[in-house]
Amino acid sequence: MARAAFDRDLDAVVTFDNAGVRLPRRRRRKGGGKGQRIRRFAGEVKRDEVWRIRGLTARIEPGESVAIVGMRGAGQQAILRMAAGTLLPDEGTVQRSMTVIPMIEIARAFSRVLSVRQNIYFLGGLFGMSHDEVTEKLPGIVAFADVQPILDRYLAKAQFHVKQRLAWTIALSTDANAYAIDQILVVGDREFRQRCWTRMDERRAEGATFLINSDSPKQFRRFCDRALYLADGRLAAETTVDDALARLRQARQSQLPEN
Amino acid sequence: MLRMLVLRDLQRKYTRFRLGYLWTLLEPLGMSIVLWFVFSVLLGARSLGLDPYLLFLSVAILPWWWFAQGIGAATKIFRRPATAYAVRASLLPTQFWVLRVVLVSMIEFLLSLPVILIAVAITGKIPGPLIIFFPIAIVVQFMLMYGVALLIAAGSAVFPDLARLVRIVLRAMFYLSPVLYSISNIPSSVQSIAALNPLVGVLGLYRLGWWPEEMPAISDYAISLSLCLILFVLGIVVFRRAEGRILKEV
Repeated sequence: MARAAFDRDLDAVVTFDNAGVRLPRRRRRKGGGKGQRIRRFAGEVKRDEVWRIRGLTARIEPGESVAIVGMRGAGQQAILRMAAGTLLPDEGTVQRSMTVIPMIEIARAFSRVLSVRQNIYFLGGLFGMSHDEVTEKLPGIVAFADVQPILDRYLAKAQFHVKQRLAWTIALSTDANAYAIDQILVVGDREFRQRCWTRMDERRAEGATFLINSDSPKQFRRFCDRALYLADGRLAAETTVDDALARLRQARQSQLPEN
Repeated sequence: MLRMLVLRDLQRKYTRFRLGYLWTLLEPLGMSIVLWFVFSVLLGARSLGLDPYLLFLSVAILPWWWFAQGIGAATKIFRRPATAYAVRASLLPTQFWVLRVVLVSMIEFLLSLPVILIAVAITGKIPGPLIIFFPIAIVVQFMLMYGVALLIAAGSAVFPDLARLVRIVLRAMFYLSPVLYSISNIPSSVQSIAALNPLVGVLGLYRLGWWPEEMPAISDYAISLSLCLILFVLGIVVFRRAEGRILKEV
């Protein structure tokens, strides 16, 4: 299965057709690692793979900005990764008509052993930019992310929000027209956030497509045109942002203990 | 991108120690000398390998080193958190990360080639015209390693235990491959079985320039080298099919 297969004839940006993916369970349920392993060894528990997403059918149209709403761990990241092609569905198909930039924990993707300048090339390369392309955009990126003073130092020494700032700047300066964003930028200084959001608005006005997961209802309302509401790995509703947030609130409340 | 990462990996290796690049030469040279001392001087086993033994050893130890380093590194590729995050957020083909590891170890090997020149200078044995097989051997070994590294990287992403197993197998391979000895040292009845080890053919090619007469039979070459090709293709095919699994695990 080729990973970056584009279907140029597709009129949507991404289509999910009955897509499902099984992922190894990260959290250990009962008894920590050792008990689990013994039980698995004894054949009591199968290697835990759970259906993260099942039977997802959806279309993401060009130029829209879609919120992926759901309880924690409802499979938002799996959807974003499938949309960008860094996760392949186990059943069904996911098709793309263009590059979707996977903005998934990108600030952690930086290399500890590279300088800031090298890391810009590195992350740009991950997003499919050529060396010359990055060289051309370098001054813009440096100015936007405000990293001129530390350009030739190790990025590992920088604070996390600096990394995040840089990662976002690089991602937004690609020529891509679609982004899958896990966790919208909420840290860092306000001034940069504003700049970043303005840039996102600009890209939206230019017709870029966004798939967004966030913890903050405010961000959803600010950026998204519509929402996919997930429950238990299934698409429960394709609806407005407000409705999805209302459903989320309800779901959270019903989980709270009675008192 | 690839060039940058490879260069950076090398730079990191060479700036960490005072002697930097010199270690690339000293390590295999030291190893050759130790083995030469043990087998040739202490044990006096003249029946082992071919003359001059020091050169004989170093010609095979360098490729072996490349092989062991590259395969060892391949087990860790998708288990390192730094790479895992990069893979998750990357539009590059997943094979890229494997290629990087193989290339780094190959360049190290190329940089260590002066050791052979030193050994030639010490022993004074000048290679014949068949030395043209030396670069061919490098290409063949690259293909072999890329195939095997793809298999092992894919395997150890899914079963972490494979890394341990690979370590043992590598150690066994060292003795099962004609590094310390020549293929003509083993009984001719087992020689064709030994040819099932792809390294037999590769190491044979490296040595051809110096010892054209003592090397494995043509048919053994054919088996061993076609195995390299098979592993190369197999690695590519299997990795492509396993890609979904790997992406899940990172």
